[in-house]
Amino acid sequence: MAIEYQKNTARFDGVVGADEAETLLEWLQKHTKGKLALSACSHLHAANLQVLMAAKAQISAWPEDEVLAAWLKSALAQQELNQ
Amino acid sequence: MTPLLEQFISEARDLLQGIGEKLLQLETSPGSPELMKELFRLVHTLKGGSGLFEFPEMTRVLHAGEDLLDTVRDGRVAYSESLADRLLETMDFVGLLMDEIEATGSSSAAHADYSAHLAKSLQQLMGDSGEVKSVESVPGPAKTAAISASLSLALSELPAALRMRLYRDVMAGSPLSWLEYTPEADCFFKGEDPLFLMLQIPETVWGGIASAQAMPPLAELDAYRCQLVFRALTAAEPAILHELFRYIPEQVGITAIPALVLAAPHDDNNGVPGSESDVDGFRAIVQSQREILSLPDNDAWLPGRLQSVAATLAACLRATGRKELLASLEKSLALALTEVKALPLQTWLDEFLPELPEKEKNSQTCREVPPLPRASGLRAALRTSECSSAGFTGQPLPETPDNTAPAYEEPSVSTASHPDVEIKFGRRAEDSYAVARTLKVDQGKIDRLMSLIGEMVVAKNSLPYLANRAEAQYGASELAREIKAQYAVVNRIAEEMQDAIMQIRMMPVSFIFQRFPRLVRDTSRKLGKEVNLVLAGEDTEADKNIIEALADPLIHIVRNSLDHGLEPPGQRRAAGKPAAGRLSICASQESDRVLIDIADDGKGIDPDIIKRKAYENGLIDEAMLERITDREAVNLVFAAGFSTAAVVSDLSGRGVGMDVVRSTVEKIGGIVTLDSEKGRGTRIRLSLPLSMAVSNVMIIVTNDKVFGVPMESVVETVRVSRSAIRSIQRRLTAVLRERIIPLLSLNDLLALNVPQRANEDGELAVMVVRVHDDLIGVIVDDFRETVDIILKPLTGILGGLPGYAGSALLGDGSVLMVLNFRELI
Repeated sequence: MAIEYQKNTARFDGVVGADEAETLLEWLQKHTKGKLALSACSHLHAANLQVLMAAKAQISAWPEDEVLAAWLKSALAQQELNQ
Repeated sequence: MTPLLEQFISEARDLLQGIGEKLLQLETSPGSPELMKELFRLVHTLKGGSGLFEFPEMTRVLHAGEDLLDTVRDGRVAYSESLADRLLETMDFVGLLMDEIEATGSSSAAHADYSAHLAKSLQQLMGDSGEVKSVESVPGPAKTAAISASLSLALSELPAALRMRLYRDVMAGSPLSWLEYTPEADCFFKGEDPLFLMLQIPETVWGGIASAQAMPPLAELDAYRCQLVFRALTAAEPAILHELFRYIPEQVGITAIPALVLAAPHDDNNGVPGSESDVDGFRAIVQSQREILSLPDNDAWLPGRLQSVAATLAACLRATGRKELLASLEKSLALALTEVKALPLQTWLDEFLPELPEKEKNSQTCREVPPLPRASGLRAALRTSECSSAGFTGQPLPETPDNTAPAYEEPSVSTASHPDVEIKFGRRAEDSYAVARTLKVDQGKIDRLMSLIGEMVVAKNSLPYLANRAEAQYGASELAREIKAQYAVVNRIAEEMQDAIMQIRMMPVSFIFQRFPRLVRDTSRKLGKEVNLVLAGEDTEADKNIIEALADPLIHIVRNSLDHGLEPPGQRRAAGKPAAGRLSICASQESDRVLIDIADDGKGIDPDIIKRKAYENGLIDEAMLERITDREAVNLVFAAGFSTAAVVSDLSGRGVGMDVVRSTVEKIGGIVTLDSEKGRGTRIRLSLPLSMAVSNVMIIVTNDKVFGVPMESVVETVRVSRSAIRSIQRRLTAVLRERIIPLLSLNDLLALNVPQRANEDGELAVMVVRVHDDLIGVIVDDFRETVDIILKPLTGILGGLPGYAGSALLGDGSVLMVLNFRELI
């Protein structure tokens, strides 16, 4: 499982493919305050990113991969500022 | 380059030409539905072909062209001249790509932009048949403005230090591109991952992901409709970027960033060069030029420095739209260069770009000024570029002002797309000189050339005769030697010519092999058998005539193997063999012959059944039935009218098959041999000459007449003393190499009532020939040399004459009849 859903945290692991976006969206709809732990994520399909952007999800841990983290921050961190 | 690609290129050229012709014909008769249909078919074929390869640029435009023609064909859009223009332009572009593919084996991604643009303009034509916007409008000014808005946002986020470094890099000539990628809404369904693509961009300086529209509430969000916009600032080469996005160029905008944009602060939305916000950057540049000019004049590289300053200023002027000042700048540069002084340029600066007082500068830009390229830093940067770039220091000093003109071009920047992408475009058919490297020639011309070369081969054979005559009749041995030396030269050239013409006529056996997979599949399915077909040596080449003549016999043999040879799966399993049979067709070359082996691991041929059948059919008599060996028996399948199959099917079993195979193969100078082992399989080997243009024959003499015998049937020539010849049952025989060889007199075979002549020692000349696997000794009067001849088959009244393979002209002008022992004996 590329995303492990815990109580209030979704833990991303390895490559998260496009298939996960639907489930992720459902989970975020139920857990509006859900936190996302991306540290173990090595890649994330753009569909998932879009869901995260729309949900204005809280990222508790950014990916260890610096390049990926930088890109994700450009999309998600800005929103944190806006909030 | 693969043979498939070569074939595609050659076909595509023809198709392109056809498309061009049809388009031009449509000009005169625009309403013709036939022409339109034909045109559509051509474009369709070309597109289909291009799809086999990785040429997205070509496929894209062709696809758009095909769509457009489809609508025209259906009458939804009217044919117009602008439509024809656009299509011709498209075909020119395809031709350009073909040139590139032919030269490099692949098409570069640099054309992606233009390809997308062409495709779009074709699509526009589909929407309305009216006039379309001109080609030059890409990327449109509106698009540029939109890009620069987000670009300045990006630039404002860059740390000042980084921006300065980029500025210096761009000034030094490194590329810097702004990339904006708006994926299609349904791109996720096409398996694309835009984020992944963006991560592939090397040397990304800045990246940003945003949503094109405001994100809807979560409940309404469609997770699989992409509405993201990706932006990046990258120092990667534009070519790399085009390569990355070559499949979706229409969704990507790639813009080269001029240094000027980097030098200016970008905290407003109007960062395009020439606007007010550039004043600071502009002034900074001018200021640094001023400082450079104020350096001491006695420097060795002053002329280079002057040119560099002028070039920078010219670029600034162009970027800010003050082109009217260019001429005066040029003039002062020329003056400065002739005087070897910086003063004229300084004067020009003071006159046209006067230095603003420090206070005014500050009051004009009341906002916070980020660290600007202060003079010292910039000067250092410029100096480094000055010293490092050979363009300025290494050049010899220009003598005349005229030489300085090109220097202006160097630092000039453009906000449009990359210049190297544009250069080749707008090309028309008339300025392309695509050289076709394959010729399509009518076979008749090749045949004529071949027969001419053949005649030359024969004509050169007359030189040795001439040499002999010179020596024997006139005693001119010196002359004879010279003629022989000349003969050697002519002989070498003739052989090379012969070799060259053979190369032209050569064809790979894959030409006939390629139909077998389908044939075997269909036939085996019909018969309910499982067959693994193994093909090998498809690239073995042989003469076109041979290959073509071989097609039918091979199909016969393969069908026979499938029908009679290979057993159904159940029977095979019972015999302890794998359920699927193996049929291998293998071609190879052995000296001047091509060997084709067709082998199966089926049930083989039972010699006993063959013998019985042959006896029942009256092919052999009782005595023969007792005598015949198993190997001889299996070869009876080649006898005319022979069939073992109990039931006549539509595949085989009519008794016309193997004998036809044999006669066809023998007609082209080939030999068929069959080996079979009961229960283990059958192997048929076809041995064919590489070519049949020139044959090698041995000349023999009988009754004072000369005849030729094809070398391939001659096994050996021996002299047998009369005493060694015995007669068994009124037939002459001799023992040669511990075998009994039947002897026949050639005079008897030719119905000449003359005894064969023996030599002084009482020995008879015996030529041992192979006829259908039997060795037979033919007694002749004498042997002569072997010669290369062009064998012409007998035609007309002589055509029905049995016993002769054909005739040929000899070097001394006499006609040589070539014997065919298979028919004679």
